[in-house]
Amino acid sequence: MRQLSKSTKTVGLLMAVLLVLSACADNGGNKKEKTAAGNEASASPSASTQAPSATAVQGGDLTFALASSPDSLDPQRSNLAVASRVYSSIFDNLVARDTDNKIKPWLATEWTVSDDGLSYTFKLRQDVKFQDGTPFNAEAVKYTYDRILDPTTKATNSVPLIAPYQSSEIIDEYTIKLNLETASQAFLGNLSESPLAIVSPTAVKKYGEQFGKNPVGTGPFKFVNWEENAEIKVERNSDYRWGPDTVDNKEAPYLDSIVFKIIPEEATRIGSIQSKQVLAVESVPPQNIVSLQSDPAYQVLQVNTNGHPYSLLINQKKAPWNELKARQALQYGIDVGTIVKTLYLGTYEQAWSAITPGIFGYDTSLENSILPDQEKAGKLLDELGWVPGKDGIREKDGKKLTLHYVDSSPNRDKRNDIAVIIQQQLKKIGIQVNVELTQDVLTKVFKNDDFDIFGNSQVNSDPNLLYPFFHTAPEGALTNNIVHVSDPQVDQWLEQGVVERDEAKRAELYKNVQQYVKNNAVIIPVYVSRYSVVAAKSVQGLKFDHSGYPLFNDVSIHK
Amino acid sequence: MRETVAARSALRKRKWELPALRSSEKRFLFSKAWIVIAIAIIAFMALCAIAPQWIAPYSPVEMFTDSIMQPPSVVHPFGTDYFGRDVFSVVVYGSRESLLIGLMSVVAGGIVGGTIGALSGYVGGLLDMVLMRAIEILMTIPGILLALTIAAAMGPSMTNIVIAVAAATIPGYARVMRGQTMSINGRSYITAARSIGVSRWGIFWRHVLPNSLSPLLVMATLGIGSSILAGSSLSFLGLGVLKEIPDWGALLSQGRGYLTVAWWICTFPGLAITLLVLAVNITGDWLRDYLDPKQKEG
Repeated sequence: MRQLSKSTKTVGLLMAVLLVLSACADNGGNKKEKTAAGNEASASPSASTQAPSATAVQGGDLTFALASSPDSLDPQRSNLAVASRVYSSIFDNLVARDTDNKIKPWLATEWTVSDDGLSYTFKLRQDVKFQDGTPFNAEAVKYTYDRILDPTTKATNSVPLIAPYQSSEIIDEYTIKLNLETASQAFLGNLSESPLAIVSPTAVKKYGEQFGKNPVGTGPFKFVNWEENAEIKVERNSDYRWGPDTVDNKEAPYLDSIVFKIIPEEATRIGSIQSKQVLAVESVPPQNIVSLQSDPAYQVLQVNTNGHPYSLLINQKKAPWNELKARQALQYGIDVGTIVKTLYLGTYEQAWSAITPGIFGYDTSLENSILPDQEKAGKLLDELGWVPGKDGIREKDGKKLTLHYVDSSPNRDKRNDIAVIIQQQLKKIGIQVNVELTQDVLTKVFKNDDFDIFGNSQVNSDPNLLYPFFHTAPEGALTNNIVHVSDPQVDQWLEQGVVERDEAKRAELYKNVQQYVKNNAVIIPVYVSRYSVVAAKSVQGLKFDHSGYPLFNDVSIHK
Repeated sequence: MRETVAARSALRKRKWELPALRSSEKRFLFSKAWIVIAIAIIAFMALCAIAPQWIAPYSPVEMFTDSIMQPPSVVHPFGTDYFGRDVFSVVVYGSRESLLIGLMSVVAGGIVGGTIGALSGYVGGLLDMVLMRAIEILMTIPGILLALTIAAAMGPSMTNIVIAVAAATIPGYARVMRGQTMSINGRSYITAARSIGVSRWGIFWRHVLPNSLSPLLVMATLGIGSSILAGSSLSFLGLGVLKEIPDWGALLSQGRGYLTVAWWICTFPGLAITLLVLAVNITGDWLRDYLDPKQKEG
């Protein structure tokens, strides 16, 4: 600040010189009266899911604009959600998760779990074959899962998902037994996640490193070609007849092909559907959703992304945020409701807990349990001895109360704008927020621990996602527990949650954790992100799976 | 700083010769009107930068969250943005940063480039050769690319943007200053001064430098416009800092996503950049005609 005002003086001097030199007419503006009038911004949230049409039309090509380019179409090696949206159409999983968190058969018809929870035996479908003609059998399942554990595969997201998988035993051609190191209630559900999709062993052997550019699975669509940074094309797999219960059409899809166009520039992407170059676009920003919703030519489809909602994680190793009252002051000082309403215009819901409402064990009692209260926030800070200084910023022992807010760049999902609003909100209770944008979050936040508050979210389907965030982490390890919570009680709940087989008891354990997180002001949940697709009215039957990835099995195009 | 002092005295000296110019042509009267408007715009924006609180109706950080994205009206002349901030106030406050970047980078680039050019032209020989080859290497890199690379490598801050923009302009100033110094150095009055025994550096400070400055001054004035543009481009590309009060480039970039639903968010900062750059260029053109040595001798 000091530096700025100094350079301001310099510019003032130079400006004055310019003024004298030019000796021009004065153009001073009049100070306007301050009246904060204005209309209420109205926007209604739409959770539109579409009824499948009674008579689906065979044929047609769907063009679908993606916001970014996939890194690889190898389910085990890809690291990006956008890749899942594409390769989910090429691959199938052993099981499927429906929207009620029930696990349904898919490539596996039935399964049994041993009493100790350490082994799962799956009976597989016998009529399935890969798109390259390779038969689907127990060997393929074993090959896929062992491939993830093999370090030479360089698997990414699939590694934590398959834990604690240890080995497979082929009982017969269509029966397989999976052995676990430790019991895990999350394991079966995780098998439905797209990174654990079954790949063709012959294709992997044939293409090796290039499998990600030549994917072969058992899914409803076959890979055709991939033009780098332009488009990816898949076509109908006419042999397909093993769709899961989560879709209506279990047979081969209605569409002849899908072309995924890669259009990163937001305005161009929205423009491409308005000019009818594509039939559907993903990742539509709230302001465009609001305007397209009222247009009869389009339909807006939105689905909540499950997992850890976008939340601000407070670093408890940094004073004064190690003190509960200081964190609670943030809890009361930040008006999350206004932020979500202002920036997302009703297209996103406010988050209240460390997990999203779609996750098993979500605690509904947390909703509306904390409402913004600046007075209370101020009082909490007073109690800690932080008193307002001359400039309105609180001070204690000559030190200013500052909050080092780290956010990532570029501005994804308006997250930098959240920082801008919080900066103003916390100024009102006497906290100075310094926002730092970084492109290297891994080093800044996870390795160097150089932040007071950092926003993060995670896509997941099981409440066990809370474990890495809040379970005591080994000293110095690179973990998700960047808030540095270490409480034996929380550890015990999380450990019990992994193995507890009684559903009611398991839900109770995770509710305890969520309550703890709220009562101790560990994080400030902000919003539940939604995956949004805008499609032309002619596109019917587009659905989303539990992770929020599109399902194209039921899609047909009506003229 | 010495250069600018000298520049000002050089400019003041010219002022007495103004009547000779004024009578020369009638079209000058017409262009005068434009110059007055241009200078008025610059002065107004300078006032915005120096004392925004006199002009802006609201605080630039005040968020009227119940009236977001309101179109221009009497209450909010430029409308409100997606935070509910008054766009006019944000643009007024944002002028400081934009003007600072423009001025500072011109001053920095001009001083460094001018010094290199003057030394190179006056000393000559090996120093000239070494400096000019270095400048030529710098010239082979496109200015905006150089600025982007510097800003990306040094991280986002206003000082770094100034350095980045300034570095890209150094070669131009150096070349002009070198040529000018060499040409002045060959004039007969320099030879005269030398013959009566004035020291080498005395001649440089008293005669060569003051007389070489006017083209540099013109170039710098014109350069302010392009520096403001370059600075805005860098912050548009996200290489700035997340400040409480964004500069015009950042405003443009933030409002871009709302162009189809709230055009006013990025139209007005864009207009402000256009107006200022245009005004600076008109003024610079006028200054060039005015300081033209050919007209002076005529």
